[in-house]
Amino acid sequence: MTDGQGPGDLHLLGLEPDDLDGHTLDELTDYLEAGRQPRDPSIEGSAGCQLALDALQRLRGLGGQLIDADAAAMPEVEESWVDRILDGIALDARAGRRIPFAADADGADFAITEGAVRGLVRSAENAVDGLLVGSTHLRGDVSVVGSPIRLEVEASAFYGARIPDAVARLRTEIAERLRHHTELNVVSIDITVSDIQQIDTWAKGTR
Amino acid sequence: MGGERYRSALEQADDRIVAGRAMDGDVAAFAVLVRRYTPMMRAYTQRMLNASSEVDDIVQESFVTAWQRFSDLDDPAKVKSWLMRIVSRKAVDRIRALRPTVDVDDVEQSAPLRSSPDRVVEARAGLEALGVALQELPASQRECWVLREMGGYSYDEIAQELDISVSTARGLLARARKYMIVRMEAWR
Repeated sequence: MTDGQGPGDLHLLGLEPDDLDGHTLDELTDYLEAGRQPRDPSIEGSAGCQLALDALQRLRGLGGQLIDADAAAMPEVEESWVDRILDGIALDARAGRRIPFAADADGADFAITEGAVRGLVRSAENAVDGLLVGSTHLRGDVSVVGSPIRLEVEASAFYGARIPDAVARLRTEIAERLRHHTELNVVSIDITVSDIQQIDTWAKGTR
Repeated sequence: MGGERYRSALEQADDRIVAGRAMDGDVAAFAVLVRRYTPMMRAYTQRMLNASSEVDDIVQESFVTAWQRFSDLDDPAKVKSWLMRIVSRKAVDRIRALRPTVDVDDVEQSAPLRSSPDRVVEARAGLEALGVALQELPASQRECWVLREMGGYSYDEIAQELDISVSTARGLLARARKYMIVRMEAWR
């Protein structure tokens, strides 16, 4: 600690160890953050410490409020900024595992990426009202043709949609698309609805 | 689902869904994250550097890194704090490049008590005072304070990030708090 080197005004406000009955601001910060437990009589009984604790208490949480206020005051995010970032990312970075097709008669080697399969799964939502797909996991050894794959899909349901119907429809759509476009041996499709959201253009008003 | 409704649904979906898709390679979902968190990441970087000239470069680099390293994100619901950690690290890297050692003996500045609180709307007064005080802090104190109070870093993490000892970090924070209390009192 390097207390005591501050300019005059700091002394006026009584934050030096002399003003704090031998305690330091660092110590008082810890005490406050611990919820003033266990109770320390030498701090609680010191007028100087009480003033400092009050001041620290007022400061508390303001950092979070300031960053929120700063963020709210930032100019609106421009589409050119979004484009600039999207231009800078490597699309194959999220391709995931390579999923081979069975070799054909000529022995040619074809494969699809895990990322492409996930895209197929997500696209099934276009045929289903009321669900938005989140993350998708392919459980199993996709690198071996024919190995059993369990598909896990997370989804968000829109307020007002009949969830069991929408989930059943999504499951059917996903199965069809995978059967049509891949050779994956999908043994199960588990869909978990993790959230129900209000969509302005879907269910107006009640948000 | 129609295109418009779909876009609206994605824009409004919670982080868990949006980040889950982005991790899986959905560029549209990643764009939603960029729109959602650019203001906060810019704000944080600006506070950290106390300057705005390099803010956009740092935030852009952070998003590119996030896209590459999505596999490191255990829980997509925590994408916000994960992004804030990335931008924080990038900002510290930039500070380190400009100023290789943390100057723990930064001279404390005396508060120029010439502000005019009358102009400041009451509800915002505290925050504005805090913002001004933060700008006036010596760099190393400001960095510690931003990491702690805006980034939620522990003392150990601050020490590690800035490559200083925990007691030095504590000392810098105590001085920062002291200065800010003095500065804030002037507005009361």
